[in-house]
Amino acid sequence: MMFYINKTNCISPQQTFGDIDIEQLHASVDNKLKVLEPPYPAFTANAIRRMSKSTRMGCGAALPLLADSTQPDGIIIGTQVSGMEENGKFLNQIIEYDEDMLTPGNFVQGTPNTISSQIALISNNKNYNITHVHRGLAFENAVIDTAMLLNESPQSTYLLGGVDEICANNHTLDTLADWFKKEDCANNDLYKSNTNGSLSGEGAAMFYVSNNKTNALAQLKAITTIHNTDVDVVKEHIRNFLLQNLPQGEKIDLLLSGENGDKRALHYYTFCEQLLDSGTPVARFKHLCGEYPTASSFALWLACNFVSGQATVPEHMLKKAAKVSALKNILIYNTHKTAQHSCMLVSIP
Amino acid sequence: MEIAELKEKLKVQIIQFLNLTDLTPADIKNDEPLFGDGLGLDSIDSLELIVLLKREYGINIQDPKEGRKVLIDVNTMAAYIEQHREK
Amino acid sequence: MDRILVTGMGVISAIGNSVDENHIALVNGKTGIIKGGGNFPSRYAGILPFAEVLMSTADLRARLHVTEPGVTRTTLMALHAFNEAIANAGLTDAQLTADDTALVGATTVGGMCLTDELYANTHGDHENIEYVGSYDYASVNLFIQSHYKMTGVVNTMNTACSSSANAIMYGCRLIKNGLARRVIVGGTDSLAKFTVNGFNALRILSDEACTPFDENRKGLNLGEGAAFLVLEKEADAGDKKVYAAVSGYGNANDAYHPSSLSPGGDGPYLAMKSALSNANLTPADIDFINAHGTGTENNDEVESRAMLNLFGALPNFASTKGFTGHTLGAASAIEAVYSILNIDRQELYPNLNFKQPITGIGVQPVVAYKPAKINHVMSNSFGFGGNCTSLIFSKA
Repeated sequence: MMFYINKTNCISPQQTFGDIDIEQLHASVDNKLKVLEPPYPAFTANAIRRMSKSTRMGCGAALPLLADSTQPDGIIIGTQVSGMEENGKFLNQIIEYDEDMLTPGNFVQGTPNTISSQIALISNNKNYNITHVHRGLAFENAVIDTAMLLNESPQSTYLLGGVDEICANNHTLDTLADWFKKEDCANNDLYKSNTNGSLSGEGAAMFYVSNNKTNALAQLKAITTIHNTDVDVVKEHIRNFLLQNLPQGEKIDLLLSGENGDKRALHYYTFCEQLLDSGTPVARFKHLCGEYPTASSFALWLACNFVSGQATVPEHMLKKAAKVSALKNILIYNTHKTAQHSCMLVSIP
Repeated sequence: MEIAELKEKLKVQIIQFLNLTDLTPADIKNDEPLFGDGLGLDSIDSLELIVLLKREYGINIQDPKEGRKVLIDVNTMAAYIEQHREK
Repeated sequence: MDRILVTGMGVISAIGNSVDENHIALVNGKTGIIKGGGNFPSRYAGILPFAEVLMSTADLRARLHVTEPGVTRTTLMALHAFNEAIANAGLTDAQLTADDTALVGATTVGGMCLTDELYANTHGDHENIEYVGSYDYASVNLFIQSHYKMTGVVNTMNTACSSSANAIMYGCRLIKNGLARRVIVGGTDSLAKFTVNGFNALRILSDEACTPFDENRKGLNLGEGAAFLVLEKEADAGDKKVYAAVSGYGNANDAYHPSSLSPGGDGPYLAMKSALSNANLTPADIDFINAHGTGTENNDEVESRAMLNLFGALPNFASTKGFTGHTLGAASAIEAVYSILNIDRQELYPNLNFKQPITGIGVQPVVAYKPAKINHVMSNSFGFGGNCTSLIFSKA
């Protein structure tokens, strides 16, 4: 099961929307990598003032892909807790006003299916519409869903996306849970860090996908997900994934590694590197987008741009000096909180 | 408070409460319909405005249908506040 | 293609802690909607009616032998229903941990049931952090996954009130696409200040027991619970007891408003229509509809119109929300169990509290228990964001 990615858009903490420039690294502020929000078009008269940040980013990235395309046969979004900022405002109201006379707007905007439903509402799309919220594998489950849809209905097209936002509540909670660094750390020093946690990130990556190879940017060849913390199990799983999906005689030309400066996660990434030929270039992406549950959607956006030649791998992404050229197969490996792992194999169309 | 002053204050509150960031108080006419073709507010906004009346003026509107009679335009809202305000 | 069969069911709701207990209440028309059940701390406890699971969180924990910290009521109810379902289907440990066994669960509350704890942790309490890892939706299924060391596909879905219908649909599709051989699918939600205050702010909670499809309906009652189904391929079912087949599903978006259905009911109509086409059935084949029927002004009128548009003359239909309240992310899974009971027991359960048809529509639900010949049941679920899903269960 696989599909082609015909178009993609990404709103991220880097210059990825519109004119792409990932050579110049935008710096993190206070251990956070916040998105550079573009000026949004007037979606509809009333829509934008009600949108949570993730809905804004999601619609902002998605709608341009739909503008001159046939109506997709489904909208499939992965997100952990989009709308949590609104959700948090509502939770705060509950306590601060002692459950009396609350405003419903925050509640309605705080539900994570708001992204897929707002895209549907604005583009008047009454087709399949779904939101996967499986934390660090929310986007991967959206990918699997899309692959199944294209297997069931080969002529169709779909809008696939991954979105999450930094908000006060999830940042605080994940910091308390030791998943974000407590000491100051700049994104260009992220991989030198030897402590627990990463930098907080966010973003929205959208993909218009089909079985149509013509003018496609990339092909998503295979995907797998793992729930396990045992590094040997994870390693074996990735090895099998490559054996089953990498065509005979071909190799991985680039590993897009989700390494995130968290010392507890490092050995998973190191073991994954060791599965590949010793000269395989390794590029890291979390200093660009920060850590968030659907960060693998940002990696997929990068992979599409690399294999299609729309962007080259900047030096600051490379783990060790290497010559990156003639990219045919890219492996994306990512783990979220070391309990959820995924691999995606992305190739030239 | 003079009713004209109340109307101006109300407009600021409406903009703030409903996050109508692209509007200034001058953009809202006193007799412009809040719902439908005027400002284009909807049913969720009407519930938000009922909460505004409660939090800012101590006015309790229990039945949202009653609310729709009050929330016609800034004039009707201001008149209702004048009559019913608790603070 | 093999048919997909239901070989196990588990449910916990305000009308009982097992499939059997739920069945007895359905047959006897005994509601679970009460004021003051005692397990939901809120200023509305005792004032508004709720459909509570009548077991404290501590009792649930003890009964399930859960000793780990950070496990929420939402998760405990899910585990309770999950355990019943896998025992009922006779799944072995080897099957449970096999990489071709998938878990797809839905929830709209997840760890947000911990409103006060969340507030404390985000407002300066950095000591009592038992729940900081459990605030999201996925925490429920990640707990079940790790509790049983499951290795297949695991997923969590949230499309508001149609969430667990989509989990069931997704599970079927995993089997059809060869990504799983058997799936355990369902949903869970506990009563939470978060949802109670949200629906209250939208002014759609009734202060009396809900009256779905009645002219004088005043809104919905929130409930809590969980349900899971075990789905297996026909070839794998062997001589197991088979309750029903999942024969069709349809998902559509109403694309109209964040929290109300369009007057014409496009989303509900399209979801029902596509479920029929997926099942290769015609409207006349449907013997009974388990309606979404929340008891709100908007839903019941729109759902009635959409059913009339599609069916012309309506088959027997009823909402079971008068028994369980609206259990949100668990609703479609709980109602899937009830729809399957309709087929397995060849009987219909009443739409409680109905007195007078809606003016201008005039449709009348089943109001009393009755035996009936049932081959195909449609179950509707419509959620905020216009997320509509219909499922069809058939006699196996």
